[in-house]
Amino acid sequence: MYLKITPKKLIQWLDGLKAQAEVLTPAKVDGVWTYTLSDLQTLPQHYFNSRISPKSLFFPSLQALLGWRSSDSSLQLSSTPPPDGQRAILGLRPCDARALRILEPVFLKDYQDVFYSQNLLRTLLLGQACQAQCEGSFCEEMGIDPQDSADVDLFFREIPGRYLVKVVTEKGKNLAGAGDLFEESSEKEWNAGQREIRGRRDKPLFDLERVKAGAGERFPDEDFWRRVSDKCINCGVCTYLCPTCHCFDLCDLQMPGQGVRFRCFDSCAFPGFTKMAVHNPREEKWRRYRQRVNHKFNFFYQNFQTVACVGCGRCVIHCPVNLDLREVLLAIAR
Amino acid sequence: MNEQVQGKNIYQPYLMEIIKVVPETGDTKTFHIQFQEASLRESFSFVAGQFAEYSVFGEGEATFCISSSPTRMSHLEFSVKRVGRVTHALHQLNEGDTIGFRGPYGNHFPLDKLKEKNLLFIGGGIGMAPLRSLIHNVVDTRADYREITILYGARSPQDLCFQYDLESWGGNPSLEMVTTVDVGDDNWKGKVGLVPMVLEEIKPSSKETMAITCGPPIMIRYTLKSLEKLGFTPSQVWTTLEMKMKCGLGKCGRCNIGPLYVCQDGPVFSLEEIKKFTSDEF
Repeated sequence: MYLKITPKKLIQWLDGLKAQAEVLTPAKVDGVWTYTLSDLQTLPQHYFNSRISPKSLFFPSLQALLGWRSSDSSLQLSSTPPPDGQRAILGLRPCDARALRILEPVFLKDYQDVFYSQNLLRTLLLGQACQAQCEGSFCEEMGIDPQDSADVDLFFREIPGRYLVKVVTEKGKNLAGAGDLFEESSEKEWNAGQREIRGRRDKPLFDLERVKAGAGERFPDEDFWRRVSDKCINCGVCTYLCPTCHCFDLCDLQMPGQGVRFRCFDSCAFPGFTKMAVHNPREEKWRRYRQRVNHKFNFFYQNFQTVACVGCGRCVIHCPVNLDLREVLLAIAR
Repeated sequence: MNEQVQGKNIYQPYLMEIIKVVPETGDTKTFHIQFQEASLRESFSFVAGQFAEYSVFGEGEATFCISSSPTRMSHLEFSVKRVGRVTHALHQLNEGDTIGFRGPYGNHFPLDKLKEKNLLFIGGGIGMAPLRSLIHNVVDTRADYREITILYGARSPQDLCFQYDLESWGGNPSLEMVTTVDVGDDNWKGKVGLVPMVLEEIKPSSKETMAITCGPPIMIRYTLKSLEKLGFTPSQVWTTLEMKMKCGLGKCGRCNIGPLYVCQDGPVFSLEEIKKFTSDEF
């Protein structure tokens, strides 16, 4: 189902949505793109990927899980209530939307993480087509169409004077159909709204199928992993900004008479990540880098039939030593 | 989707009371614990080889196997060597103190494959803890198994855990018990030598036998080699692996060996499975 709407009416529709939900949109705060509460005076335009990925809105860097009150004689535990309140995220990019789907089985399979599942349930995902290739990105190589997405509730394409809207979910259909702001559109009109992506590469950097096979084939090649990880300084910024990295730590904060247990981001780049009492299976840097690349492109694929990378390019542009994942993947695919 | 846990906070532990603390060695203690909630004492069940996450609130959680047997459910036991932050905090606790408990997690020893077989247990140091759960289990259902041999080693006589069990097993005519230490003392009557060496010396038959081993990684590595020398095939050898874990739920991402999560696909693996591992990082 396809719809269209003028920018003015879209603002009106979002204003209506604001009565029942927080609306988050991309905005530049202190020079950095981020998703933040919007006053909806204008619609976001010409924005690039946020520095911190929207994963943090679902899997925050710090999440209180439970608390306790203790005295000499007793200890009472209380579970942190799952997050509530409806939200809508406008301007979600296809890569970041896919990342949320990739994380679903991690948090929902076998043992359901109620914090993640509630955050998904309470959020309306409003995707928006990209108009320019983000610096460092390789989304198309990862099989993501920067102008389309099935991982959101509604997906918007901007054309002069209008937004074309693809209705993806029932939830999206119910909300968009609730007023008379949207007009009917067609698949033909939708397809005609396809734009040339500014700065798009003529041909892909590498073949994902070759990367998937190559990561496993290269696994025993210690020299290869030593070489490609040589520059890495184990800062972990790639894992913190990555929309699909999900490794976490559990840690306690004790205050007088009470305490809180948190879940917080952790990183496989850190030497202490797998350190045990008597040994550390990934003490050497090349092993940790190999783990990260293989977890994403080999092991995750074996377990969940999708790679854990969307090609957003955050790790590429924010790496302090210019360790370019694209070059590593190219070397693997060779 | 696991229906039982849906909607619940999967990180929330149950509260347990410490009902007894047994000093094992200079740096190892066994804790006897019981659910605060009476109904859980009845409904809780596990299988030998499974583990749990234990909390000292304010210090954090750590992973230990359940070292008591599912056949002896008056309370649960776990054994802890003092090495880091949480284990230090646990060692400060006394009878009557409260801890958190999440579990049981992971797979378990393959009881169905052990039935009607000779069993060979090979333990080292605190690695005896998971084997002890299974040994008590098979002793309590003795008729299901054939000959049972237990080989247990530690650095010195003072480092042997579960001395009360060793005595009882040693005095049990239906079990063969061998103890060894790296360095003995004047009173030591057992063997002297590393576990894999003593194993090759006592030469247990591999015929119709399943070997189950746990100990420090270096001991496991050499014990696996010795077992192969003795004619054990990879499907006759089982071990339980230790990896750093935080969640125990297959999510936090640190116990991976290749695509496997030790917390969910393990901790119990056959040598046959281990030989197929993509990675040697364990």
